[in-house]
Amino acid sequence: MKALNRTGLIFFPAYDWEISPTHPERQERLLYTQDQIMEEGLLDIEGIHEFKAGFATEHDIQRVHFCVPDVASRITTSHNISAGGCIEAARHVLEGDVDKAFALVRPPGHHSMRVVHGARGFCNINIEAIMVEWIRRNYPRIKKIAIVDTDCHHGDGSQDIFWHDPRVLYISLHQDGRTLYPGSGFPREFGGPNAFGMTVNVPLPPRTSDRGFLFVIENLVLPILKEFKPDLVVNSAGQDNHYSDPITDMAFTARGYARLNEMLSPDICVLEGGYSIEAALPYVNTGIILALAGLDYSYLREPGLDTESIKEGQKILDYIARLTDNILEKWYNKEKLRSEYYEGEAYVKRDKSIYYDTDGISESQTEEVRVCDKCPGVFKIDSQASTGYRILGIHIPWGACQECREKGLEWFNEAKGPYYGVYLQDMDADRYRVRLL
Amino acid sequence: MMLGIDVGGTHTDAIIIDGGEITASAKKVTRKQDLVGSIVDAVIGLGIDVARVKRVVLSTTLATNSIVENTLAPVGMVVSAGPGIDPREYFLNEDFYLVKGAIDHRGREYQGLSDREVVDAGRKLKARSIEGIGIVSKFSVRNPMHENRMHYLLANEFKYISMGHQMSGSLNFPRRIYTAYFNTAVMPLQHGFLKSVGDAFRDMGINADILILKADGGTITHDAAFRLPVETILSGPAASIMGAIALTGERRTALVLDIGGTTTDIGVLVKGVPLMQPQGVDMAGKKTLVRGLDLLSLGLAGDSTVVVEDGKIRIGPGRKGPPACLGGTSPTPTDALSVMGLFDKGERRRAEEAFESIAQVLDKGVEEVARQVIKKFCQELRSAVTEFIDVLNSRPVYTIHDMIYPELISPETVIVVGGPAGSFCSLMEDTFGLECKVPQYHEVANAIGACLARTTARITLVADTHLGKLICPELDIEKDIPGDYSPDDVKVFGMERLDELYRYLGMEDRPDIDVVEEQSFNMVRGFRTVGKNIRLRMQTRPGVLSLSRA
Repeated sequence: MKALNRTGLIFFPAYDWEISPTHPERQERLLYTQDQIMEEGLLDIEGIHEFKAGFATEHDIQRVHFCVPDVASRITTSHNISAGGCIEAARHVLEGDVDKAFALVRPPGHHSMRVVHGARGFCNINIEAIMVEWIRRNYPRIKKIAIVDTDCHHGDGSQDIFWHDPRVLYISLHQDGRTLYPGSGFPREFGGPNAFGMTVNVPLPPRTSDRGFLFVIENLVLPILKEFKPDLVVNSAGQDNHYSDPITDMAFTARGYARLNEMLSPDICVLEGGYSIEAALPYVNTGIILALAGLDYSYLREPGLDTESIKEGQKILDYIARLTDNILEKWYNKEKLRSEYYEGEAYVKRDKSIYYDTDGISESQTEEVRVCDKCPGVFKIDSQASTGYRILGIHIPWGACQECREKGLEWFNEAKGPYYGVYLQDMDADRYRVRLL
Repeated sequence: MMLGIDVGGTHTDAIIIDGGEITASAKKVTRKQDLVGSIVDAVIGLGIDVARVKRVVLSTTLATNSIVENTLAPVGMVVSAGPGIDPREYFLNEDFYLVKGAIDHRGREYQGLSDREVVDAGRKLKARSIEGIGIVSKFSVRNPMHENRMHYLLANEFKYISMGHQMSGSLNFPRRIYTAYFNTAVMPLQHGFLKSVGDAFRDMGINADILILKADGGTITHDAAFRLPVETILSGPAASIMGAIALTGERRTALVLDIGGTTTDIGVLVKGVPLMQPQGVDMAGKKTLVRGLDLLSLGLAGDSTVVVEDGKIRIGPGRKGPPACLGGTSPTPTDALSVMGLFDKGERRRAEEAFESIAQVLDKGVEEVARQVIKKFCQELRSAVTEFIDVLNSRPVYTIHDMIYPELISPETVIVVGGPAGSFCSLMEDTFGLECKVPQYHEVANAIGACLARTTARITLVADTHLGKLICPELDIEKDIPGDYSPDDVKVFGMERLDELYRYLGMEDRPDIDVVEEQSFNMVRGFRTVGKNIRLRMQTRPGVLSLSRA
């Protein structure tokens, strides 16, 4: 047996880290997955290589986040290694050691937004976003990146971070936010004025199973990717759409996940959520690894799986077909819609209330972006949290035009008022500055 | 008085250790068609009173050769797997049978074994006059019920049987298949050989127990070798490394170079303990669960052929015969040493002649060519060793603690053994920038290693208090445990079993027992802790009997 695609695996189960002893994010989470991977002998297959995880630096994290008051007080070493594991996965792909890689790491990251006051949805820092910015810094040939998030929960953190970025396409398939945390991820959330259509949300009805998911991949995700032409595709491979997951209500199977990855053929997969640690993760992860490697997974199935009983009904499939049509139509019309919404606007503001469920913190934000047709547009975030911290974060994007750059520096230098500090991300200069007030 | 014998591909070495001294040694040419005769020759060559021999350890390449030369008996395999990778991917021929039955990662049966299919497979194998079978199921190390049932159904029909869970406690289904396969495959040969050796020794008047050296540098009894012959394959390189430990008593982290004629084997001692392969050794291109030393084997040795290719010197990886200075025809690194005055056996003139044509092609003097050959030899050795150590140091770890505090291997000294070792010592010192020693008797380090190797045993224990079960596959133990069974309870239980096993395997003194892996997880279901999942692996520390006590 030989892998058609050379595939790298970064396995970091963090056997000595937990949020709390009975929390879903606990030591035991990847134990049975490791047992299954070892018993299947996956790492012995020619063309499958296991690599050691690494550490993300503070600077790697600062390219993405405004951690308040600073990085060190918002993360633990486990987060460093989880993000570092993703970076190592990317490094081995981009150096050509392997064709594809899977960062099977924990803790997860896709609920972490640009400003970090604490942990939400079990996430402190956004491990994919940190990887994406590390890639763009170190491999300038990678210009356009697509993230396809197949975790059952809407990746509101990833959406927030790339909201204004026209070169990162973020597509999320998730259980409808009216029925599940974090309650966002509707088709109307479509990206900022400079990146309209670069956020695509597909809220799927509860009980969606293999046919529904794969229909969306085939009829929505692949056509959009074909037009976007990314240089790199990342799958945020959450595994809580599985029919056995204890905290969600979907009906996806291990073989479905494998087929999804076969169709999507991502360059890098990153584990996100998934808390059915015995009945789903061992099989889903095996399926993803086999699919990435281009190996046969047709013999894989969960013990006791009854495909018929979890099959979605025709009503659900019809609903998904209509949803797909509507989103696709909107996507093809994104230029026209953009000018309808934003024509003549110089700045666009949005207000957000954010709740950090894991840490019990509330935050209110006002974000203001410069509408720009020369670059992705500078933006600033005024953020106040129930912890007492209020900060102003300014982001000068990759390839910022002269006006946006000057505006960003002006905001940074002239900010006064009730802030604990003013933070600046200057992507092209790869600089992070903090001015405490 | 202790007797150590290493039957190598070229030579058979025998050694006697008596009262802490090496009192006799013999080296005879190995006759491949008559290994027992070669052993007898070597023992006779020692010129000793064999009645005084109390312990015999034998290291042999017999099974290795038959695997390489593919002269193995046909083996039938009966395998149950359940979903995953299609198990038929691992089938080597039509004598592999897949039967229904499945067990999950916690050892729970979720598809019953099909007795009818097992019996049917047995009947078909019988019809092909196959005498030996392997029985393997997926996750049998978590629950051997299907393997045990298959054994019950087939035991009366076959002469040689191997069960997967008895081979090793490690998870790895494909490796388990091949380990059981090779174990049965070498059984007829090994049984015949061990019986003949036993008979020959009795005829000579040796009544001591015979121990067999394993690939991990430990010994097992004659009886255990009957059941697990696969462990004794590939013991050759282990013999030399164990010999190096015995001769130097090294307790630091060290490189051991065994420079032979055809290959140089490089092993690593970490604080004096030889480093093992993480999963198991390869046999005939198949990965197994047989524990063995983690060795780097290079075709860069004393007799490697030196040629010029595209104006550049190339050494090995082949060997055409002995060095020119010792009667061969092609120039070798040993000849280069001879030209440089670092090797004083044989005829230097012949070494110089052998390099003349290369010297002409390169338009250089013979001495300059010899210097370049040695330089290249050392450079290639160093870069291969550096890469080897880098790979060892970049092995993944799974805890934050191990990420922050990695235990990196950094050799402090070099030990060189093997025929041409003496000539290489100062060169190796320069090559690695480390102190280097060539112990006395290094040319029979292999036989000394065999002679002094200690018994090794390793067991795996998995306790699942939620299911109320403890299992130790290697010892075929399944035991009910109470809900409050703790990691310490598992450890105490394991210590007792390993101690018993060790005594059974024939060691007189108490072993040093190391817990090599220890994990304990709270099992939480629905926000409630329902039990503990405890995994332990313990072993007797591989090592040698001290010379002084021997």
